Amino acid sequence: MHLLETLKTAINALLLNKARSFLTMLGVIIGVFSVVTLVSVVQGFQNYITDQFSALGSNTVIVGPGGITTGDPSKAYSSNKLENKHYDLLKLNSSDKVLAIAPSIRLSKDATYKTKTYLSTIFGTTQSVVDIGALNVDKGRFYTDAEDTAKARVVVLGSEVVKQLFGTRSPIGERIKVEKETFQVIGTVASKGSSFDDRIYMPIKTTENAFNLTNISSIVLKTKNAGDVDTVIKETELILMKDLKKDDFTVFSSKDILTSINNILSMVSVGLGAIAGISLLVGGIGIMNIMLVSVTERTREIGLRKALGATSGNIGLQFVIESVLLSVLGGLVGLGLGWLATFAVQSFVRAEVPWWAIVLALGFSLTVGVVFGTYPAVNASKKDPIEALRFE
Amino acid sequence: MSAIIQATEVYKIYDLGEERIEALKGVSVLINQGEFVAIVGKSGSGKSTLMHILGLLDTPSSGEVIINGTNTKGLKEKQLAKVRNNEIGFVFQSFNLLQRTSVLDNVMLPLKYSNVPASKWMDKTMEMIKLVGLENRIHNKSNELSGGQKQRVAIARALVNDPALIMADEPTGNLDSKTGDEIVKKFLDLNAQGKTIILVTHDEDLAKIAQRRIVMHDGCVVEN
Ligand SMILES: Nc1ncnc2c1ncn2[C@@H]1O[C@H](COP(=O)(O)OP(=O)(O)O)[C@@H](O)[C@H]1O
Ligand SMILES: [Mg+2]
Repeated sequence: MHLLETLKTAINALLLNKARSFLTMLGVIIGVFSVVTLVSVVQGFQNYITDQFSALGSNTVIVGPGGITTGDPSKAYSSNKLENKHYDLLKLNSSDKVLAIAPSIRLSKDATYKTKTYLSTIFGTTQSVVDIGALNVDKGRFYTDAEDTAKARVVVLGSEVVKQLFGTRSPIGERIKVEKETFQVIGTVASKGSSFDDRIYMPIKTTENAFNLTNISSIVLKTKNAGDVDTVIKETELILMKDLKKDDFTVFSSKDILTSINNILSMVSVGLGAIAGISLLVGGIGIMNIMLVSVTERTREIGLRKALGATSGNIGLQFVIESVLLSVLGGLVGLGLGWLATFAVQSFVRAEVPWWAIVLALGFSLTVGVVFGTYPAVNASKKDPIEALRFE
Repeated sequence: MSAIIQATEVYKIYDLGEERIEALKGVSVLINQGEFVAIVGKSGSGKSTLMHILGLLDTPSSGEVIINGTNTKGLKEKQLAKVRNNEIGFVFQSFNLLQRTSVLDNVMLPLKYSNVPASKWMDKTMEMIKLVGLENRIHNKSNELSGGQKQRVAIARALVNDPALIMADEPTGNLDSKTGDEIVKKFLDLNAQGKTIILVTHDEDLAKIAQRRIVMHDGCVVEN
């Protein structure tokens, strides 16, 4: 029998039992769908984080509280010993390899303008953040160090905050409220990506004063050259040791974080991939189960085909093709659904289906079809024509 | 007259552990080209078993079967399939059509396992369907047909590869007598056109239409 004819026979057999064929495919559909979706979302997340860090630059050194990279991170923040005076200490003692330094306090708070409220990130820092973050002040101006010292109640808004609170109106000169405090908007910053745009920049001393804080979240240093990063990390550690103990702070580069986040994401990918792979395996077992039932049900048909001249090879191939059709079709549907899901989460994560995920999903479902279809097919092909014809 | 089938000392023993059933006990038959032979005998006498062995659907426990001069003993599974496909047409008591499949596809089935080029399948299939008078029902599914129509589809299917030999096991067993007579007449026509016919039946009256009767009893040929 020609391959094309065998294929037609297999398609007809599957069409004779549409509901069952679909239910059998469901396992593979779900397996491939989850593989594709998870891989795409993790990939999107990885792209996002890489972008965020490249916005920060490869010549960035960060000082954080506690032993972030070694100890318990929640403990690191609860026993935070990092204060604004350490920023002053660094400013005084850092070598000329350091271009700029900015401390930061990050708080998540509702900002209100008239009737509108938006949950923003209060970003208490100094003017030097403009250089470090390569901020583009598109309206008004940024606050000065003098305003910082004076604890002036002024703020500069990120583009999303502007959009949410003011729409298309100009916010310059308007007053917004955060908790009970009132601040005057003196400038706005052009869009830099989602995690930057919900910020409200506020002089750090103003922030400490308004929200009654003594600790800061981190200090960021920008080096002249990317090659200076390691030297600056050592130098910064030595300066801070004058006032802090070794475990009270951690100095690291943006590259370090990127590497460790990517490591974590890769592990997450592998873990999720394994779970999705198991569901694909379960799908394959489902196919095998139904194919075995189908072979038993169609024993008479197999006997008849053999009586009419089918060889064992013809019969085996017919059943393998049936299971491969089920799994590959399931794979294609799962891929399509995964693609749609990736499309649907586009506004949250810039997810994309990588080409290797497509190859992997289809290759995997093809393999599942062949592997789990072989045993039932061999069973079918071994049937004796006369035993099969007598079968009731 | 040349022999189309020659079986010598054929035994078929079913060893069921506790029980040993000797379905055939040294059967020898010779069937010539163009003959119409009826194999008759009571139920359980071994008629079907003999037909299955002569038709290469089953293998004897011992003894040999020669078809068209070829000893089938040494044949591989593939070669046996080819002989069944090219040289023998089967008709069964319970029709054995593919379920929920059209008359056309049922009749065409043996062609799909043959070496006949696909371009000729349609013509050959239609020719056989016309021969059994079902040209108005080609797209009907097998389950939409009456018993007599089903058996006519089975006959068309048995003929489509133009085999020299037709084997029918109780072909009228599931039909009323009038429809049964029509089917029998079909076999007579085919025999007149030169086909060798082996008709298995327990019905003595039906067997009378054959030129020759092979009577079986308890696994042995008692009259030939
Ligand atoms: N697969 C089998 N296993 C055991 N016994 C069988 C099998 N097939 C047939 N027989 C036995 O062989 C004998 C002949 O059966 P069969 O050829 O079908 O008779 P007939 O067609 O003349 O009615 C019977 O006793 C039957 O029970
Ligand atoms: Mg019988």
